[in-house]
Amino acid sequence: MKLKNILYVVGGGGAFLVFAIPLLWALFRSIQPNDVIVAAPDRSTFFQLTWDNFRTLIEGPGNLMRAVGNSLVVAVSTAVLTAVLATFAGYGFARFRFRSGPLLFALVVVSMMIPFQAILTPLYLEMNVLRLTDSLLGLVLFYTTVNLPFGVFVMRNSFSSVPVELEDSAHVDGCGTLRMIGSVLRPLVTPGAATVALYAFLAAWTEFLGALTFLTKDELYTLPVALVNVQAGAYGEVNFGSLVAGSVIAMIPCIVLYVGLQRFYVTGLATGAVKG
Amino acid sequence: MSTRTEAKPRVEPSARPRAVGRRGSLTHPARTGLLLVTPAVLFVAVFVLVPLGFALVISLTNWPLIGTVEFSGVKNYTAIVSDAAFAKSVLYTLLYTVIVTGPILVLGYALAVLVRRKRRGATLLRTMFFLPFVVGLSTLSFVTVLEAQPDSGAINIVLRSLGITDGTTAWLVDGPLATGLICVLVIWGVSGLTMMLLMAGMQAIPREFYESSELDGAGWWRQEWEITIPVLRPTIAMSVIISVVGSLLAFTQFYILTRGGPGTDTTTVVQYIYNRAFVQLQLGAATALSIVLVVVVGLVTAAQFWLLREKD
Repeated sequence: MKLKNILYVVGGGGAFLVFAIPLLWALFRSIQPNDVIVAAPDRSTFFQLTWDNFRTLIEGPGNLMRAVGNSLVVAVSTAVLTAVLATFAGYGFARFRFRSGPLLFALVVVSMMIPFQAILTPLYLEMNVLRLTDSLLGLVLFYTTVNLPFGVFVMRNSFSSVPVELEDSAHVDGCGTLRMIGSVLRPLVTPGAATVALYAFLAAWTEFLGALTFLTKDELYTLPVALVNVQAGAYGEVNFGSLVAGSVIAMIPCIVLYVGLQRFYVTGLATGAVKG
Repeated sequence: MSTRTEAKPRVEPSARPRAVGRRGSLTHPARTGLLLVTPAVLFVAVFVLVPLGFALVISLTNWPLIGTVEFSGVKNYTAIVSDAAFAKSVLYTLLYTVIVTGPILVLGYALAVLVRRKRRGATLLRTMFFLPFVVGLSTLSFVTVLEAQPDSGAINIVLRSLGITDGTTAWLVDGPLATGLICVLVIWGVSGLTMMLLMAGMQAIPREFYESSELDGAGWWRQEWEITIPVLRPTIAMSVIISVVGSLLAFTQFYILTRGGPGTDTTTVVQYIYNRAFVQLQLGAATALSIVLVVVVGLVTAAQFWLLREKD
């Protein structure tokens, strides 16, 4: 017993450091000036810290704040749209019996197994025809689709676990479908919807390949794509200070949302339909 | 926890049969149900199924961005066989997958063992181990770019202070070194997901499963091998499939760290297809490769389900 506790403390503590230090290090780097970041460490300058990198991001030519804005708009819209559509579909699949139901549900599930990375080329051509490339709306619709199958799954399970009797009595009181979802069932399925929204937000916020493919205009770039430009030195010289500061900004919503809403995140994983 | 039975495609009627024996339900009319699911189904149809069907058409043509489309039959598919660059990217992607899959599973399992019981600090540890996955590979890769620089990057600073190297290693311009670095980054970054999945599975195993073996005086190691792992088999299968499919589709970390270079030494399949389509603009050829990728990923998923479930 004693040995086990020692192993837990040593193993857990060691592993904690292995996971925490790189992230903390990035935080530290972001407040080092660029010329210190790119030089071999020198005791006299290494701990001269500054907010310059963040100032450059806000005022500089790369205009990363616009990218942050784009990312926020895209991620929030994706989260809301995914949660709403998944809630409707989840309710429909869980509670209603209609002839095409099983087929349509199978369709949604099968689409979960077709990785978007593999259909990127035809998807790009189709979005081009629909004028959805170089468009934040297009990106939102794309991200929503990627997250929907998982969302529908979670919401179907949420509605299935609500006792039917609850709806029956509401129906007797003359409650319509929308009011049923909006008021009677809402408190019971909110955790599921929160899970779906959280996943969709994080997926949209960090997604890279789709944004890289569907966006070609600077002013529409989301944060990860804008950071590629910073990395490639598209705004003059390569500025590692901006790169790491931008990365820290990219991390913040992920960490805050995850730590704050962990309960929902873990429930979502338990549903087991997470895509790799 | 029956996590993975939930993840399987279920084709049985999903709606609860209510008002049995009656044609339609008064409280849940069929038409309302169809109306509720239509928006979601439309999204999937427009952005997944249509492109998939479209892909089959494109792959049989030359599909230039400008100019006339010419039907080329299965030429794009037969060309794949003699495409040495594609073969190289396939081999590279397989190599990468083989390298990272085992460590992700082992590390994920070990972390899950650490956090599965309610002990002091377990929640904090779990949160920390999962944080890199939440932050995402794109952001982690950007941070790694600057820490992999010769002289100034943290990796080199640490290796030099330990006396292992002279600290001038340029990690990102050397194929094997970059591959090694990316593997370490990915193993560190995504094993938290495996941990979460396995932990949920472990917590769902009833205590009674262990009681008789405890009476036998079985130690921790034997309990793990004889009870936990066999019971957890489906969950393990699920997490391995997720990680293998993720590896086969790897792009972000390679694109950001090496752009597939030096030359094409670290070019993964997805990046190769991306290059063919969006750099060389050979959309027909790229789409034929995409179809192959869809089929391969599907087969891998099916094969792993079959292999790992056989002994159930």
